[in-house]
Amino acid sequence: MGCCWSLFCKDDNSLQNCEPNERTHLLVDPVSNNINIQRVNSDDLPSRLSNDLPKKTDEQSALTRILQETATNVIDVAALDTHNLQQHEYLERVKTYNIKVQHVLTSNRAVLGTKLKSCLLQDIPQPEKCLASDLIGSEDTNLVSQSVDAALNAVNDIKVDHKEDLVVPFGLGLN
Amino acid sequence: MVDEIKKTLQDIVTNIDGLYCITFTDRDGVPLLKVNTEKAPEHVLKPSFISTFCIAIDQGSKLGLGKTNNLICTYNQYQVVQMNKLPLIVTFVANQKCNIGQILALESQLDPIVSSLTLIVSEP
Repeated sequence: MGCCWSLFCKDDNSLQNCEPNERTHLLVDPVSNNINIQRVNSDDLPSRLSNDLPKKTDEQSALTRILQETATNVIDVAALDTHNLQQHEYLERVKTYNIKVQHVLTSNRAVLGTKLKSCLLQDIPQPEKCLASDLIGSEDTNLVSQSVDAALNAVNDIKVDHKEDLVVPFGLGLN
Repeated sequence: MVDEIKKTLQDIVTNIDGLYCITFTDRDGVPLLKVNTEKAPEHVLKPSFISTFCIAIDQGSKLGLGKTNNLICTYNQYQVVQMNKLPLIVTFVANQKCNIGQILALESQLDPIVSSLTLIVSEP
């Protein structure tokens, strides 16, 4: 008991002085950091022994808390339980969601309509494909330029052949 | 309006080379909105597969690396990207050659839809 006490004292002193020695913990004690468990020094023991029962329950609850926290912090893949939906429950939920989606999206039409306008520019997922593609052959280039020239000439040749008056008195001929 | 949004999503699916499907589901994998091509593998869209995302991110949060935002799984034939928008999960399925960066860039574009659909799931 005396040894324990002396250890605690040394520990406390070292903490106060901030000087690491051979008894200084390399890792911070997670338990003492997370949960306030009252450390029992031998000085306090006589007074504590008199009300032993409440102390025990305190300790018990502290232990339970530690256990729970550890359990939540542990990654135990084997113990994971997957909650599978029943078929009827699934169908029911799909049905309610369908109705609600219709309702909510229609009521948010104004907001969604403006925000969802698709972008004019389009991403190229694999630019190297486009960049590494073969160049157009000279024959094709000639064909394209010849057709464009021909089209241009055709457009320039369009003329209006004026034959009749554009403004015609309407409905006068009947009388 | 649902059709309009589905059309927008369909455009996104067709514009991104290799993307097969986009689904918005709740945490149990029940779909709210789904757009897919014929090539989308059906078994990936089952609730039992999608809901494992929740378990994975729950456990992942214990690693002390912060909240999980996205989960990217690459397989031999497919790539699956899941976004943490709890109570919603947004799942993308693509082929193995799809540019994942393009999918991740969709996040901001899909935010308006996500925020609207969140209302549905969070309602009692």
